[in-house]
Amino acid sequence: MTSLLEQTPSLLNVVLLALAAVALLAVVLGFVTYAIYFERKIIGWMQLRPGPNRVGPLGLLQTVADVAKLLLKEDTRPKSADKALFALAPVLAYGPAFAVLAVMPFSENIGFADLGIGVLYYIALSSITILGVITAGWASNNKWSLIGGLRSAAQMISYEVPLVMSVVGIILMTGSLNLRDIVEAQRDVWNIIPQFFAFCVFLIAAQAELNRSPFDLPEAESELVAGYHVEYSGFRFAMFMLAEYVYMFGMGSLITILFLGGWLPPIEALGFIPGIVWFILKFSLYVFLQFWLRATMPRIRADQLMSFAWKGLLPVALINILLTAFFVSYSNGSF
Amino acid sequence: MDASLIIFFLLGFLTIGGAVFMISFTKVAHMVISIGVTFISIAGLFVLLEAEFVAVSQILVYSGAISILMLFGIMLTKHDASEDEPSKAQPFWLTWIFVAGLFLIVAYGIYSTNWNVLPPRQLDPNVSNVKEIGVEVFTNFVVPFELVSVLLLVALVGAIIMAKKEDKD
Repeated sequence: MTSLLEQTPSLLNVVLLALAAVALLAVVLGFVTYAIYFERKIIGWMQLRPGPNRVGPLGLLQTVADVAKLLLKEDTRPKSADKALFALAPVLAYGPAFAVLAVMPFSENIGFADLGIGVLYYIALSSITILGVITAGWASNNKWSLIGGLRSAAQMISYEVPLVMSVVGIILMTGSLNLRDIVEAQRDVWNIIPQFFAFCVFLIAAQAELNRSPFDLPEAESELVAGYHVEYSGFRFAMFMLAEYVYMFGMGSLITILFLGGWLPPIEALGFIPGIVWFILKFSLYVFLQFWLRATMPRIRADQLMSFAWKGLLPVALINILLTAFFVSYSNGSF
Repeated sequence: MDASLIIFFLLGFLTIGGAVFMISFTKVAHMVISIGVTFISIAGLFVLLEAEFVAVSQILVYSGAISILMLFGIMLTKHDASEDEPSKAQPFWLTWIFVAGLFLIVAYGIYSTNWNVLPPRQLDPNVSNVKEIGVEVFTNFVVPFELVSVLLLVALVGAIIMAKKEDKD
């Protein structure tokens, strides 16, 4: 896969690369379909109700039916909305969500680009989504949308800072920004143990970045009139939801790679099981955590949101950087 | 034809196109989006030059932070969303003289520069250029780097003080 990127382009290469991207898209869409199904099922079980069980056997086709409904819905647009930007905003929100998957190494052999700066690539591209969110809020020409868009943007920008800061500790320990190097450096011990504070900060900040519970303010329709996507319906609305779940896929992969040892088995003796299986197991654990939180955590108040990021998470992340830098230079014999 | 040439022309076209539309659009939000296209295309040009770190910083700082800052600025201040009056048109030939003059000056600057002052350094392709940049910043350019960080700190403190003052009123 990686060698394909370095060849001179012929029609065959370009077609192969496009097919690989389409295959990844199919995997991601399959994941999103069944992530939504299991989310509803698990939340149902936690709240002592059966969850979706009508469409198809065990309700397995529920999401398919929901997506079909969204696609067949009339595509409404407010009369005084900005036409071009209203159409562009879902693309701006979804495009980066899929593009960040390009650097994810899913196992030793399965992966696309092997960038030297994989971590930064993820963080940089995901900030373009914020642009899409604000654009959606503004283009709807609705005061609630605009306020919701600005609120989401402020949330995502603020939580991006502790998110990046918590990764710095791992970069210091590994000495590389490459995601493959980071996984290989975890052969002895996974980063979750030496970098436990960073893991906690990253997990919380990732929830806010993903707009997931307990930070799911854009979905608070009862108290905050939802957010940037109130005026969207049908397929355009589906694009925003898709972006959210694809980011969940990306963030799950990233957290698996950064903290849980990627495709490495937990003990050396289990190495005969292929790496991709371990990756999927760890990844599923993270996705389950999402559903668990959604079913049990109350939503955080909008006015406490910012002070938590800046006064709570950021100092912890900074102290973690300081301690890691101290230990790394101590073990290198600088003192 | 080389693929990088095709991509270069595509990115160059997007860069210039974004800049041209930025000037010709009348709504401020449209302008910010088109300048965002320019920023992202410039990042693509950096990737083409194998300067990945600069490319990612470009996206992070310009496409991400600065575009969003501009959008926030536009939306939170009482600003006319669009300028209805077309700006006073200069005589056509005057514009052309300015453009031609600027082109001549820039072209003269490019052609008269001696590009071979520093011999191109052969970098080991296995060493990531982040590491190279880090080593350079903390050895040869440590004083400017520290000065810039002090400047940023002063700006940060200044911004906090200004925000605090408004809060008391």
